[in-house]
Amino acid sequence: MKAKFWPARTEERRATILAGLILLQAVCALFFTVDVIEDYRHDGQLDGPHMILESIAAVALIGGVIFLMVELRRLLQRMAVMQTGLEVARGNLADVIDAFFEEWQLTNAERDVALMILKGFDNEAIAGLRHTAAGTVRAQATNIYAKSATDGRAQFISLFMEELLAGDIGTVASHAEDTSKKGPTKEGSSPVG
Amino acid sequence: MMTQTKNISSGRASARDITVWDPLVRLIHWSLALTILLNGTIIEDESRAHELIGYTALALVGLRLVWAFIGPQHARFTAFPPSPRRAIHYLKTMIAGDRSVHLSHNPLGALMVYNIWLSVIAIGVTGYMMTTITFFGVDWVEEMHEVVFGWLLFSVALHVGGVVFDTWRSGVHLVRAMITGRKSVPEGREIL
Repeated sequence: MKAKFWPARTEERRATILAGLILLQAVCALFFTVDVIEDYRHDGQLDGPHMILESIAAVALIGGVIFLMVELRRLLQRMAVMQTGLEVARGNLADVIDAFFEEWQLTNAERDVALMILKGFDNEAIAGLRHTAAGTVRAQATNIYAKSATDGRAQFISLFMEELLAGDIGTVASHAEDTSKKGPTKEGSSPVG
Repeated sequence: MMTQTKNISSGRASARDITVWDPLVRLIHWSLALTILLNGTIIEDESRAHELIGYTALALVGLRLVWAFIGPQHARFTAFPPSPRRAIHYLKTMIAGDRSVHLSHNPLGALMVYNIWLSVIAIGVTGYMMTTITFFGVDWVEEMHEVVFGWLLFSVALHVGGVVFDTWRSGVHLVRAMITGRKSVPEGREIL
């Protein structure tokens, strides 16, 4: 239930700072405008260097506020696009992982353990999370490495990294086709469409 | 088995976190609340500070109105049009037990938003009028300033009550959403 106002991500932080600036500048713009109006009410004239300077400041501040608002809007849009991309990527990665697990014919328990290995848990932590003995997890991990033809944790993880980083767009596309052919037929194999 | 893998890989298991309130909306909301609180309680009436805080409140509402035209999706007028018909419809479905979640303001809350903005504008304008020679000491202006402020306090109380009620009813922690910007929608809830 921790409510965090100060965001950890850079873009969100920028958006917050931008919003704060907009607020401050809007208040400044208001006070200059009010000042101009009050001066005018007292003196009844709009010329004179003081008035001209203040009017220019008021106009500049208002223009600045609107400009910053448009900038903030752009930033928020960019963040939304990035978020969507991230979600699509997550969905794709989950599909790729599923396809691999299917191909290696991992059991349900092994799938769980394999996923936790990918997430960076060590054997003891996995045993704790799954309420099993550390020995059981070690045996399951050995099975997983054997079925995936890797020689251990590092190579197992790098298998997926390699998949993410591999080749140009052409080969990635052909690979996607490839996995959807040999992988299990399922609704999620083309999440973009 | 599939879903199991998906659940683990999605991290946060049961709830969907959706960004709804951008930082400008949140800052304006809490700043406006602060100005109302200050001018209604500790700041002396007829002081210069009272005037300045009042103008600040006006500026905040003005800024929010501009943002409602150029801001992101959930901050726009189109996300929460002022429609009594929709509010009544919403009330009916709510009583009937519908628990879908509105990402922006729900139709009933939208009416409250417009009510509060209009009240603040009315208070600000009558407050300004009291400083002008033409309207200084004119009874109806002063009376309106005070009556509308009473109405605003009543509205704020209703607003807080509505937030508490909706948080309890929908399970979406609305106060937290106005602080972090994210609504955490419980799984299986329809989103409007």
